[in-house]
Amino acid sequence: MFIRAEYKKLDQLKYISHLELMSTFRSTFRRTNIALKYSQGFNPHIIFAMSQPLPVGMIGYEEYFDLELKQRLSLKEIKTQINTKLPNGLFVNDIIEISDNEKSLQAVVNTAKYQFRIRFNKKHIDKSKIINNFIKTKDLTITRYRRNKDNRKINIASMIHTGKIIEGNIWEFTVSTGSSGNVRPQEVIRALNHYTNNIIKKLSLTDIKRLGLYVKRKDKLYKPTNSKVLKKEVK
Amino acid sequence: MNVKELIYDELINVSKPERYIGNEYNIIKKNWKEIAIKVLTVFPDVYEIGMSHLGLKIIYHLLNEESNILCERAYSPWPDMERLLRKKDLPIFSLESGRGPKEFDILAFTLQYEMSYTNLLTILNLAGIEFYSKDRSETDPLVIGGGSIVSNVEPVAPFFDLIFIGEAENDLVNIINMYYNLKNSGLKKDKILLKLSSLPGVYIPTLYNIKYNENGTIESIKPDNEKIKSNIKRQVVSDLNEAYFPKKFLVPHMETVHDRATIEISRGCTKGCRFCSAGITYRPTRERKKEKILKLADQILKNTGYDELSLTSLSTVDHTEIDSLVKELINRYQEDKISISLSSLRVDKFSVKLANEVQKIRKTGLTFAPEAGTDRLRKVINKGISEDDLYEAVKAAFTEGWSTIKLYFMIGLPTEKKEDLNGIIEMVNNVLKLGKKIRKSSNKKMKPIWINVSISTFIPKANTPFQWETMIDRKELKKRLNYLRKNLNKKGINFSWNDEDLSLLESIFSRGDRRLSKVIVNAWNKGARFDGWGDHFDYNLWLKAFHEEEVRIDYYLRDRSLEELLPWQHIDMGLNNEFLKNELNKALSYETTDECRFNRCQGCNICYNLEFDLNVIGNDYNVHKS
Ligand code: SF4
Repeated sequence: MFIRAEYKKLDQLKYISHLELMSTFRSTFRRTNIALKYSQGFNPHIIFAMSQPLPVGMIGYEEYFDLELKQRLSLKEIKTQINTKLPNGLFVNDIIEISDNEKSLQAVVNTAKYQFRIRFNKKHIDKSKIINNFIKTKDLTITRYRRNKDNRKINIASMIHTGKIIEGNIWEFTVSTGSSGNVRPQEVIRALNHYTNNIIKKLSLTDIKRLGLYVKRKDKLYKPTNSKVLKKEVK
Repeated sequence: MNVKELIYDELINVSKPERYIGNEYNIIKKNWKEIAIKVLTVFPDVYEIGMSHLGLKIIYHLLNEESNILCERAYSPWPDMERLLRKKDLPIFSLESGRGPKEFDILAFTLQYEMSYTNLLTILNLAGIEFYSKDRSETDPLVIGGGSIVSNVEPVAPFFDLIFIGEAENDLVNIINMYYNLKNSGLKKDKILLKLSSLPGVYIPTLYNIKYNENGTIESIKPDNEKIKSNIKRQVVSDLNEAYFPKKFLVPHMETVHDRATIEISRGCTKGCRFCSAGITYRPTRERKKEKILKLADQILKNTGYDELSLTSLSTVDHTEIDSLVKELINRYQEDKISISLSSLRVDKFSVKLANEVQKIRKTGLTFAPEAGTDRLRKVINKGISEDDLYEAVKAAFTEGWSTIKLYFMIGLPTEKKEDLNGIIEMVNNVLKLGKKIRKSSNKKMKPIWINVSISTFIPKANTPFQWETMIDRKELKKRLNYLRKNLNKKGINFSWNDEDLSLLESIFSRGDRRLSKVIVNAWNKGARFDGWGDHFDYNLWLKAFHEEEVRIDYYLRDRSLEELLPWQHIDMGLNNEFLKNELNKALSYETTDECRFNRCQGCNICYNLEFDLNVIGNDYNVHKS
């Protein structure tokens, strides 16, 4: 039986890395009474995969993982079992069953929604004008810093889809994420800063939250647990 | 004050912020307002090292079992974290409630490694607590220490109000309760400490006066008055089966040094290697019964979700039930893909056979410790193995398909000569040859053979037969290291060694006295931190500190006469005084001493002096009487 779970990673654990999070989940599963499926081979491991990594320091509200179980269990039972064995700061919101040939999370998820707590260098600024102009701009070229590789210039305009002010200095952006186009949240800030004459202060990752990950189809955002984007529904 | 909350968002700017966040599964957060006695355990090194320390885990869970005690944890801040805390004028904080050390009644330090002494000072200083016990105020928490280096804790003794000598499981709760009650009754700290000094295992350094001779050696170590005990006797747990062992281990998120469930299957080792201080200070050997271990394994694995179980002991393979224990564990946990690991192997075929059972599929590498290069020198150190034993063991290992073997050697041992170094070179070469030959004719798909040679420096330790010996001179040490390095520099051999200067410093402290405390403070003031971490260690800074404090290094490296009063004389390991001297004499005439556990008692007297129930530790009483 395959399941797909939506979970949140909160303040208490926002500093653990993607790899650490994976091992935290693995030990959590092993603490439950759920019979787990292991891969074959020299180094058997739990069949388990996660959505795009959440940067260290960032809270995420709608993150996902897929897991294979050896025996069928009710979704409610699985959710309770996992939630009682998770450390504080991690919580499974929802679980659905998926078919065994469902596309992987990292293959389908292509959009992320971030919320920024913006700080300004100046007082009295027309925030909505800034954000509207920013979204309309066709050229948002920034320098992308790459680990162990040369920096690269890249235009991220087409990968920033929407932007709006929630209230005052809380701003929200949806951007591309994943292998076919990826924008890091810090890059949005850098672009904003650059194209608005430095009126926005440098942000820390702790000023950013990932509200959710989505599958974008024709301008519409779906959760990867939504039956509309799943290959086949399993009851 | 919740310090953690105050700087939580700024942790993004320090390296490995997950060191400071807590929230591990199985963390114990008790209600601060409702619990009377607050203890903060402090490990003077980083989180990932401290979290792998079994003793500290035992204490954390043991204290929290008490309904009137709350026990929280703190670890050393890395230099970048120390800078952040200083910038904000904040102390280090507990991972549970985020409070600083001063809000606790007791600070309990784990003393495990000499090179973490400066880290201890960092934590006190960040908390605004004076370094020296005598300078502290009535409102400061009680600063206590304990752990595996208590056989000579003198260099840091002046920093502690109280040090516990030995295994603390049975006594710690009582000491804490008594302290709290005395404090509540309004007694002043010096009166309280005087009262506590009568408890077994309790060492109050300030109550002992040290007088020095003109030549610098110790003239006397005497308590303040006759009512205070003149010796502090090591405390021990006589039956490991009755001893407390936690079942709900903390599960760190961060990758730690030993990321696995651990069960101590036995304590103590009586093989009698003459360089090893643990071999004396944890005597005698006590085993945990197989049934008990199996039950613990079950509970611990269920409560943690670990996929590896490590059986630890000073000498794992020597557990009398190890064979059937390992088989049973493999049987039980195969399906759950839980692997078993053994913390130490002997140099023999039986060890290889066991290792093969636990590493059937993934052969990650095997470690053997011949320690010295010739049969003669191995007799000196009482490491009862011959060159052929090693070849037999590695042959078995290569034949089973292992391709990487790690070999541990020591240099600078008493009586070491050039031929002993040549012996190391020859043994390593022979092992490599043997491996290549077996690989050629093997039908297993073996990777190329690698021999990892790890060289450590012999350091004369307190409470060992070599405690009177000279520490090898720095120049000579470098010479011998270079010789080995030059001759083992070839494909198939990896060579690693301990930093010479670090070994020197460690050796100063391991036989040091209280006069070194001011050197530690001086070095700390100059910026010494994390000295055990190669890239942080600055030998010149230490040299300056010694110089400024007018403490001579060579005084601590020299050999001691058998009559000299040693700085740890008042700490009673339970040893018969003559035993170590006899052992030294035997060493110098290449005589070995048999392991006492299954043979005749060798007369160290620990079993009698510490009043062991010989039935419980599994030794035959009649054998002991002879
Ligand atoms: S008293 Fe005898 S049996 Fe006990 S540890 Fe010492 S030598 Fe071994």
